[in-house]
Amino acid sequence: MIRTLSEARSRATELAVSIGSRLGTEHRLTELANAAASGIENTLREVRSSAAGTQVSAAGLTDLHGALQTGAQPPATAPAIDAASPVVASFAAGTGLDAEHWLSAFVNELLAQARTSGGITFENAERLLQQRKDEFLRDFLTARRMYRAYPQLFPEIADETRQVVTL
Amino acid sequence: MNFDPRDFSDLTRKATELMAVTADVPTVLRGRLGEHNELSRAADKMLASVEAFVHELRSFDASAEPAITDTFEDL
Repeated sequence: MIRTLSEARSRATELAVSIGSRLGTEHRLTELANAAASGIENTLREVRSSAAGTQVSAAGLTDLHGALQTGAQPPATAPAIDAASPVVASFAAGTGLDAEHWLSAFVNELLAQARTSGGITFENAERLLQQRKDEFLRDFLTARRMYRAYPQLFPEIADETRQVVTL
Repeated sequence: MNFDPRDFSDLTRKATELMAVTADVPTVLRGRLGEHNELSRAADKMLASVEAFVHELRSFDASAEPAITDTFEDL
């Protein structure tokens, strides 16, 4: 179910971007495409949160069961990695990427999740990457809308466009 | 506004596929969680928004004349 919705969200977002680039962001079709993408996004979020709640309670019971059998305490949750941690800072510095680059944030989230869940799965990595992609597409739409509405705020882009046109 | 009508045939096909992919989601959720569960209702709304989008896109694509409504139609 989550995979189906995740793929559907990706398709809907790409459709919204394609239609918006052809008809403009204020066209009714673009608005309907964005509404469909948002609807899928909302459903996916709720399904994920519902599934996460179920998994957390199941994992809690398993930990408790194990602790009762062995007399050991349930494993403590590892602290989350923040953006200023040495690992992330060294990754960003090592790759020459800006600390705000999406790849740094992706690695940050992946490592944080690996610490809390005790491992990295392909499914989690795919989901996190999809989230980054969707965020990028949303930011792209917003930036394009801003550029179209207020081109005077982006003189360097306007200059580049002018140069390309004259070439 | 310039665009190739064939592009919209392709987009309509993709949107139809999207609707087919999501069509079963409300039924599945309702079957697992019940008719009045919040998730089932969210899925109903989702499907309705996808259907409205696909319906509009089909109408747009079917119209032989690409009469794009002006973005200032609300004014």
